[in-house]
Amino acid sequence: MTTTPITAGTPAPPPDTSVAAAASPLQVLARVAATVWSNTKARIGVVILLLFVLAAIFAPLLAPYDPSSTEFARSQDASAGHWLGTTAAGEDVLSQLIQGARISVFVGFVAGLLSTLVAVLIGLSWGYVRGWVGDVINFVVNLFLVVPGLPLMIVIAAYLQNGGIGMIILVVVITGWAWGARVLRSQTQSLRGRDFVTAAVFSGERPARIVFREILPNMTSLIVGNFFGAATSAILAEAGLEFLGLGDPSTVSWGTMLFWAQNSNALLTGQWALLFAPGLCIALLATSLTLINFGVDGLSNPRLRERRKVRK
Amino acid sequence: MTYALRKVGLLILTLWAAITLNFFLPRLMPGSPTDAAIAKLSQNGPVTAATRKAIEIQLGVPDGNLLSQYGQYLKQVLTLDFGVSYTFYPQPVADLVGQALPYTLILVGFVTIVAFVLGTLLGVLAAWKRGTWLDALPTLGGSFASAFPYFWTALLLLFFLGYVFKIFPTSGAYGVTNVPGFSGAFIGSALNHAVLPAVTILITSLGGWILGMRNTMISTLGDDYVTFAEANGLKPHTVAIRYAARNAILPNLTSFGLALGGVVGGSVLVETVFGYPGIGYLLLKAVTNQDYPLMQALFLMITVSVLLANFIVDILYGVLDPRTRK
Amino acid sequence: MSSDDILLTVEDLSVVYEPDGADPTFAVENVSFELRRGEFVGLVGESGSGKSTLGFALTRLSKPPARISHGTILFDGTDIASIDAEHLREQRQGGFAMVLQSGMNALNPVRTIRNHFFDVFTAHGHVSRERREERARELIGKVELPAATLDRFPGELSGGMRQRVSIALALSLEPQLMVFDEPTTALDVLVQHAVMNTIRDLQASEGFTAVLISHDLGIVLEATERVLVMHEGVIVEDGPSSEILNAPTADYTRMLLSHYADPRAEVVSLPGFEDRAIRRQAGASRSAVASPEHAPTVVTRSISTAQESIVVEHVSKTYPPPRRGEQPVRAVRDVSFTLEPGQSLALVGQSGSGKSTIAKMITGVEKPSEGSIRFGGLDVAKLRRGQLRDLHRNVQMVFQDPYAALNPLHTVEYTLTRPVVNFTGLKGRDARQRVLELLETVGLAPVEQFAAKLPHELSGGQRQRVVIARALACDPQVIIADEPVSMLDVSLRAGVLALLEDLREKWGVSLLYITHDLLSARLITGNIMVLHDGAVVERGETAEVLQRPTDDYTVALLEAVPNPQRTRR
Repeated sequence: MTTTPITAGTPAPPPDTSVAAAASPLQVLARVAATVWSNTKARIGVVILLLFVLAAIFAPLLAPYDPSSTEFARSQDASAGHWLGTTAAGEDVLSQLIQGARISVFVGFVAGLLSTLVAVLIGLSWGYVRGWVGDVINFVVNLFLVVPGLPLMIVIAAYLQNGGIGMIILVVVITGWAWGARVLRSQTQSLRGRDFVTAAVFSGERPARIVFREILPNMTSLIVGNFFGAATSAILAEAGLEFLGLGDPSTVSWGTMLFWAQNSNALLTGQWALLFAPGLCIALLATSLTLINFGVDGLSNPRLRERRKVRK
Repeated sequence: MTYALRKVGLLILTLWAAITLNFFLPRLMPGSPTDAAIAKLSQNGPVTAATRKAIEIQLGVPDGNLLSQYGQYLKQVLTLDFGVSYTFYPQPVADLVGQALPYTLILVGFVTIVAFVLGTLLGVLAAWKRGTWLDALPTLGGSFASAFPYFWTALLLLFFLGYVFKIFPTSGAYGVTNVPGFSGAFIGSALNHAVLPAVTILITSLGGWILGMRNTMISTLGDDYVTFAEANGLKPHTVAIRYAARNAILPNLTSFGLALGGVVGGSVLVETVFGYPGIGYLLLKAVTNQDYPLMQALFLMITVSVLLANFIVDILYGVLDPRTRK
Repeated sequence: MSSDDILLTVEDLSVVYEPDGADPTFAVENVSFELRRGEFVGLVGESGSGKSTLGFALTRLSKPPARISHGTILFDGTDIASIDAEHLREQRQGGFAMVLQSGMNALNPVRTIRNHFFDVFTAHGHVSRERREERARELIGKVELPAATLDRFPGELSGGMRQRVSIALALSLEPQLMVFDEPTTALDVLVQHAVMNTIRDLQASEGFTAVLISHDLGIVLEATERVLVMHEGVIVEDGPSSEILNAPTADYTRMLLSHYADPRAEVVSLPGFEDRAIRRQAGASRSAVASPEHAPTVVTRSISTAQESIVVEHVSKTYPPPRRGEQPVRAVRDVSFTLEPGQSLALVGQSGSGKSTIAKMITGVEKPSEGSIRFGGLDVAKLRRGQLRDLHRNVQMVFQDPYAALNPLHTVEYTLTRPVVNFTGLKGRDARQRVLELLETVGLAPVEQFAAKLPHELSGGQRQRVVIARALACDPQVIIADEPVSMLDVSLRAGVLALLEDLREKWGVSLLYITHDLLSARLITGNIMVLHDGAVVERGETAEVLQRPTDDYTVALLEAVPNPQRTRR
């Protein structure tokens, strides 16, 4: 790196230099959004995500039929009446697909939010405590990191027979917070070593205010990134659990669609749409979040930002 | 040397914690897993007092002495005595686990290492050729493929290569006519059966390694020692491999250890789809039949394997980074 | 001067920065100059002048977002601005080499020093397999390191040793031109001095052409025979060192020169700054300076001056050994002193001398292992975390790095309002009024405008003034300033120092000034303590100690102060 006018460590100035008021969390988020949007991959991700969110919100209006109605002929191939055919129980696949967006978007959003919340709380306080308490937390977090998540989910889900969406979200949060906590802890530690945090102590600030007003706003991009990452794994985990039949099989979701598809031997009957469509939706939704994180990565690590023009 | 000793100490401590977690898991759950298990077991015939006791130690009794149960439980674990399965009554749980373990270890272990090595190489290439198609293709392809749910990739491969084109077998670990042993026919059949599960794990885990390595490598490429190496006119491949990639691999190795749990979790789904008789498939059998003793033993086994793998990764890290040798 | 003498001809060279989402800026603009063989040339400028960018361009190391947009660099007859990568690489052996500013990070942490040398030999094939061990030993000897260094990993070497290794590596290319980019900036004063001597000796013995890039005109004038002065991407002066020193033509050069002085002199004077000794005799206060960036405008306020002393008695600080089997680190050994109300005391020494540890203990950040620290009625060593507030009401701190000391997300007003609200109990309009007063005190006018700014909109000097204003917000009795000007450009230092001096005089604040820079200590402190390896080796009145030092270590520190006036060789 050659010398740049801005000292390493200071974030790039926002384009608008006439900002007057104290940077509120909203303004920081707006800056995050602007940087993310400037990345092509992230922009594609945002568009895909928006489509799914809209589908989830307006599912009852968009779905051609009642998704749980079993009045149609069974195991039909695609036709004008049923664009993606019908299931072995006689339900319309397209309607189920649109309805299924609700569960995935909901689980992704709620589980992502909750595990990010847990990660932030533990990560921040962990980065701020000293001595043996920190060592104990370190051990617990490392344990949760290495204990394989999905098998643990399966075991917990097995004990809590057919717990439905709430159970799945709980299990996903229990197994999903540790990674974020670790990342946020190390960032907290590096930030608390900065002079401006020491200076806040000298300004008579109380610990809670230092954590939430001085340190936290400087980690916005990491937290946003963690949210999308957690949401992605929540969506995949939810689908996985339901595919194994560990959720509530009577809800209409992409995971249960695949569960029923496999149990009704859709593979043998060659009903590829029943198999293909829900999986593709899961993959697309997860990909959109991953793509958005490409843009978020560039926020915390300027070296990863896209170069507009590449010269030899 | 102190580094290795510290890691051994940590391993022992973590193993103890994982075993303890396994002890408390059924005891923290609502309802009584013990009653459910005994009810299930009595379908196979009368339950002896000894069997009943063993199940209580594993799964807990509502008003028993926790400490003494814990002591007996530790003894059970250390002697690998996990009782009998009632899904496969009267086979001991330990035998069932022993039969399934080699399949998973070989399949998942081998494929994971291949995926890591291949992904790391592609990541190095992508970072070095940043902005060209060698970067764009693996980066985008990798992030798309890694967003595929494991079981969906498995279903697609099974559908097309198994049912439609009938290239690979659709279920099991070896052909029905083969007898397990060191015969050419058996090994050939086993390899043929392992292709689809292996490819599934490869496809879904490769992307993560590519992206991880690419990002850390881009960071090290901006480090001063890389600039200085270029200033000294070292050959491009020396700069890329011995300077940038050699340093970028260290943080990635740590991620590798931590991601193992995810891969093992994914393999549960993969084994289920392909009916591959490994640990994951067995776990699902245990779960659907509420075979708690078997389930507990399997979960413990999976956790311990991942912990051991992480330990090996830690030791490898110590070998690769001279800074840990001080 | 025949044309054979010319090694490098730079013509009309421009380097442009094209960062994402910002307009391109020219870091170097239409620069032309020539270098003769065997010449030792200095390239001087303040941060942002484009000197490093030019250095990277000369060795074709410019990376995005920087790009050579125009001009030619004729090296030994070849235009290296336009040759392809492989030819460029081959040119580096026997051509041009570069030693980076951050020499500490210029070595691959996972390769031994020996392998670093072998990598260079293998890349160019100019040293045969049989001779490479011998050659590596020879080179490492040239930079005055033992041959055993070759077995080490970079992490096992000190900063100075690592920088020497980088120099030896650059030397192993047998280059005709060597560019040194701030080769000693990251090092300790005494180490800096030694490394500079090595560079000078090597240049004389090996006969390569050298370009020394530095922000420090003092260092450059001492070492080089010709100096290029850069300002805002343009070379504003180019001439022999002696002429630059005695008859500079550019105003900018004159301004830079005016900020150097010998701390040992009878009378020390900087722009806007007279020696306190003189002033005391005259009984007058220092006059204000013209430029607003330099002007400290202290509003005279009727506030209580300092009343309590800080009493440090037999304080030691021992840290546990960094690794098992090693000795514990004794950072501070049996230090005693009293900072009287209104006094100014300098604590000098190089890094590792324990001076910052003492500051941490006085402010309650660290606890002493032995001894006691008292401030008025407070026993600082026994304060619990929650009680530190009582201490900070009266003892405040000015930090070294003005870029790190302000939260990048908060406006100046927010930053200043917090201590006002926390310590003085003022609220709302009163608090705001107080903040504006503080800004006026530190010379940041128009105050309303500065209050609304975010840190990145301020220059380094302005940021440091905000940091000082924050320290003043609670009317403290003691200010501890830890290297407050070392990160600032030379031209901005005097202004900040003058502000500190004024605050002490007019507000009656006691000042503990921690520094490695003897000149600034001479300017603003009455008393001085020299620390070496955690112990006080010399103390007394600042002017007295610096003019007539008795301890060898103090003498060595004084010798290491770069001074253009000193005659060379």
